[in-house]
Amino acid sequence: MPPLPLQSDWAFVVGNLDLLLVGTGVTVALTAASILLGFLLGFPAGAVEVYGRGPLKRAVETAGVVLRGTPLLVIIILLFFGLSVSSSAFVTATIALGLRSAAYQSQIFRGALQSVDEGQLEAARAVGMGRLQAIRSVVVPQALRRSVPGFQNEFTIVLKDTSIAIVIGLGELLTVGQNLYQGGRSTAALEIFLTVSLIYFVLTFVTNRSLDYVDDHFSIPGGERA
Amino acid sequence: MTDPLLELDDVYKSYGEEQVLSGVSFEMDAGDVDVVIGPSGSGKSTMLRCVNRLTEINDGDIYLDGDCVTDPDTDVNELRKQVGMVFQDFNLFAHLTALGNVTLGLRKVRGMDKEAARERGYEHLEQVGLLDQADSYPAELSGGQKQRVGIARALAMDPKLLLFDEPTSALDPELVGEVVEVMRDLAAEGITMLVVSHEMGFARSAASDIIFLDDGRIVEHGPPKQLFENPQAARTGEFLSRLETTHEGE
Amino acid sequence: MGTSESTTAGRTIRARAAGLTDQPLTLFTVAVFWMWLVVRWTNDFLLDGALIERNTSFFPTAPFEAAAAALGGLAASLGPVGFPVGWVAGFFEFLAASIPYLPPLATGVWATILLTVLGIALGFVIAVPLSVARVYGGSATRSVALGYTELFRGTPLLAQLFVLYFATPLTTVIRELPTVGTGFIPAQAFWVAVIAFMLNSAAYQSEYIRSALNSVPEGQLTAARSIGLSKVDGIRHVVLPQGLRYAIPGWSNELVYLIKYSSLASFITVRELFERTDAIASETYRYTELFVLAGLLYLALVISASLLMEYVEQRVAIPGLGTTGR
Repeated sequence: MPPLPLQSDWAFVVGNLDLLLVGTGVTVALTAASILLGFLLGFPAGAVEVYGRGPLKRAVETAGVVLRGTPLLVIIILLFFGLSVSSSAFVTATIALGLRSAAYQSQIFRGALQSVDEGQLEAARAVGMGRLQAIRSVVVPQALRRSVPGFQNEFTIVLKDTSIAIVIGLGELLTVGQNLYQGGRSTAALEIFLTVSLIYFVLTFVTNRSLDYVDDHFSIPGGERA
Repeated sequence: MTDPLLELDDVYKSYGEEQVLSGVSFEMDAGDVDVVIGPSGSGKSTMLRCVNRLTEINDGDIYLDGDCVTDPDTDVNELRKQVGMVFQDFNLFAHLTALGNVTLGLRKVRGMDKEAARERGYEHLEQVGLLDQADSYPAELSGGQKQRVGIARALAMDPKLLLFDEPTSALDPELVGEVVEVMRDLAAEGITMLVVSHEMGFARSAASDIIFLDDGRIVEHGPPKQLFENPQAARTGEFLSRLETTHEGE
Repeated sequence: MGTSESTTAGRTIRARAAGLTDQPLTLFTVAVFWMWLVVRWTNDFLLDGALIERNTSFFPTAPFEAAAAALGGLAASLGPVGFPVGWVAGFFEFLAASIPYLPPLATGVWATILLTVLGIALGFVIAVPLSVARVYGGSATRSVALGYTELFRGTPLLAQLFVLYFATPLTTVIRELPTVGTGFIPAQAFWVAVIAFMLNSAAYQSEYIRSALNSVPEGQLTAARSIGLSKVDGIRHVVLPQGLRYAIPGWSNELVYLIKYSSLASFITVRELFERTDAIASETYRYTELFVLAGLLYLALVISASLLMEYVEQRVAIPGLGTTGR
């Protein structure tokens, strides 16, 4: 029979499961919003890095280097306290995570676009398609499929990075855990943070398997080496 | 010395359901050059790899110089110091120069010091005609040169027996000659060699015995003269004549 | 300069500073960055403030303030045409405001570098046996290694830091160790952070190394065994030297990652660059200037790391063995 305090520590966690689930919800929402923003900005950025030229290309490249070379913590604080882009912690966190993700997703898409054999583009032009159309109908669909593994990786990275939003007080999962711990139940530290870690682990596991399924579902029969 | 250097006694090997070797038995004396021929899938490479226990047999025994090497107590690494192997795909250590490839075994397995190992390394590279390539990396060598380094590497360990697993099959035709020439020299020097190969020219002129393996069994075993001119088994004749025609077509 | 996307299996994308690392301006700036850091550290730690007082910057702010004021005035008088001039004025204003904060930030940079270097080096020591276990181990060892890797890669680094700091007696244990917190040896929170980074980094590094080991053709180990090398020696002398070279792109990714994520140590009271910046910002409210400055310092560190890894890659390159095919 375990000593009473230990039992109550786990009971404490179980009792606050609803709070933890709300935190999990915030985490999931933040992840989804950030990945989406990252895609909307990152895909065009990747395309520009492959097909663009001149000042636009250089600007995009520099922005990418800066966003990938600066810690997320710095970006979030800068956006929230420095530039005050929004009073909402959720919006600011989404923008911060979204920009960072865009910088990394642009690299994924750049690699995928470049890995599509040049002959594909040539063949498309040879049947009379314009450059833009050729890229859109022939290269992009293949590139998107090849991006799935990198995308899968990025998804779990963003999911885990949402924990950093704790610094601007966003009520995501880790923040909830931290609040529970500091809210007077310091003995339950181990139980709280193990539970939080477990939830993250389950989230990443589920995400990976789902994206594995997507990868299989969309893969080209016979493989990518046409 | 009347004891054979190598003896295979009723060796069986299977991979799951597939029986690759069935009751293979033969002997080799020191100084013999035996060439193993046979259709693909007949188990030639597997048999070779059983001798230095890169592959483990299921039943039977293998003896090297009187010692039973298939005994579970035998130190496998000790065995491999005495049996050298030359691979179809060369398998040169990509991160080492030609000299490095030859001396790695000397230094790490035989425990020689760096200088002594280098001396021996140069000797063996000279033996295969590649002294000037000592500091080249495998990626910088041609296929024939790579294989010759592979031979030098195996020789450096002073093995009692040298195994050749289709040494020229991965080479472009014009590079085959330089490797076969080295093999002839070794045969002439009295090195005991067990060779799996399609090079009939070498088999005819340098081999002391030819072993014809088909479907995991030794169909015929005898001097080249016998197999090529007066084969005892019908299948031997069939196989050899098929080979002759393909080679003529080249 | 290496142009490769890594061909080792896996999703490592070389976050190459696209063309930036090739430009002489970048190299010059990075060189100046390190020179300033070394001089500052020598002055503060070794010479105890002999050259210049501890918290005083080498650079004077007056000229920048004057320039900013002058240009500001000029911009105003030019009207709308004066916008670019206004920007330059703003830039000088930024410099003037940030310069006084350089000394304390330099101290933070030292802690950041220490955290990163220790984390990645110790992580490497664990990662190599871990990846060898994944590739060559029996099913039991492989499962344990896989479990470890999945655990540390599947949970946030911050959560791991919290677990180690709040939920284990690690801090108390380390605090009791001799020399901790005295002289140059940082206090216990720092070491807890190092342990967290070590464990986390080991998991990621083992993934890179594992896929690199898998890229080494099987025939290499076979050949090693055929000359009498034991399996362990074969892995040590033949497979690892090649595999580790293939792992360099992934490794440089990890170095950059750790430089940035060392900032998380601030959550457990370690006084590295982010924490120092935050501390000053919360007093002076100059969040933008300070964090832009911090961002630039991190960027300088990241670019330095990329340059270093490119140099390493070139130094250990062997013809025919590398990311551009075998």
